[in-house]
Amino acid sequence: MSSVRHHPKTQTLADFAAGRLDEARAVVVATHLGLCADCTKAVSDFESVGGHLLETTKPVEMAHDALEKILARADVTANVIVPASPALDQPERNLPLSGFLKGSIDDVKWKRVAPGLSQSVIEAQGYRQGVLRLLKIEPGTQMPKHSHSGNELTLILRGAYEDEIGDFGVGDLADLDGEYTHTPKAKGDEPCICLIATAAPLKFKTLAGRIAQPFIGL
Amino acid sequence: MEALLAAVAKSGDRRAFAEIYGYFAPRVKGFLMKGGASPEEAEDLAQDAMVKVLRKAKLFDPAKAAASTWIFTIARNARIDAIRKASKPALDGEDPALAPEESPRADDLCELKQEKARIVEVLADLPPEQAKVMRLHFYEDEPHSVIAERLELPLGTVKSRLRLALEKVRKELGDHK
Repeated sequence: MSSVRHHPKTQTLADFAAGRLDEARAVVVATHLGLCADCTKAVSDFESVGGHLLETTKPVEMAHDALEKILARADVTANVIVPASPALDQPERNLPLSGFLKGSIDDVKWKRVAPGLSQSVIEAQGYRQGVLRLLKIEPGTQMPKHSHSGNELTLILRGAYEDEIGDFGVGDLADLDGEYTHTPKAKGDEPCICLIATAAPLKFKTLAGRIAQPFIGL
Repeated sequence: MEALLAAVAKSGDRRAFAEIYGYFAPRVKGFLMKGGASPEEAEDLAQDAMVKVLRKAKLFDPAKAAASTWIFTIARNARIDAIRKASKPALDGEDPALAPEESPRADDLCELKQEKARIVEVLADLPPEQAKVMRLHFYEDEPHSVIAERLELPLGTVKSRLRLALEKVRKELGDHK
């Protein structure tokens, strides 16, 4: 727990608490929260701010038959609970990723996209735009230099990588905005597996990267 | 409110629920309308949220959050569910949120009161222009660029005010515990 060195920005945590993130990024943040007590506390604090704002909002009268309707609905559908966002709805926010994977990370079907690089796109577009994927970087492999046209959240699930910012290990989260360019390289003997949410496609800086992009689908 | 929720959780007490409803439903509706929802949308979403409050009362843990915080998260998720339903057919499934039941403890409730008082203090301490942007951050579903337009401020100003406010809230509330 205490080994986590890189965290989401405060803004990202507040976006999560206010329900402003797309589902892909919400899953990444929620997964990080399962590994980081500090960020969990911050999200709880922001939710308390939301609670306070709710309490101090000027009330607007409900329809006259609303209470009746609510009681009737709660009765009829007592056993059918529609899932809210699996990411937001977990009381412990404990690794909500498992709800999106069909099994464990070991069972993921990887698609090779470049030498030393494979990915698996995860269906997580329940609300708002955004792409969620697992990326596996083989030891020693370096990703092509790229930046992002929007916010990108990368959470390390296995192994480690290093880039211009520093060393990233399990539980660490890189919260990068558009202007930032980086070239992550897997470290150590085991592949580095990251969970990545992008609000928009990556922008590659090198010609090779740009040529590869349509094939990689990043 | 925490005790009323506990009563709903324990025995499905309808009178207790009616009281919770009377206080929170109009506030949830007002909250959503402040975020730009039409009165009809806000009414529907507030009803959805209150159905969930009733059905999920057992999951409420007063050791973890105030009733207002918990209901805020339910209203927030109801709004997300509405976006989800609008963008693709609803999924059916089992609710993964099955937390162990816990009864309220006196010391938790006391701590909760202190924390609520602390939030009021911290928010009152924010410069008004920062507090305003932060309120919109919670009410609004729209990107910050839309908030900036509404306030007739440059996007950069909105972002920096929000960042200052959020950092301060986080620091003050985090230090306290």
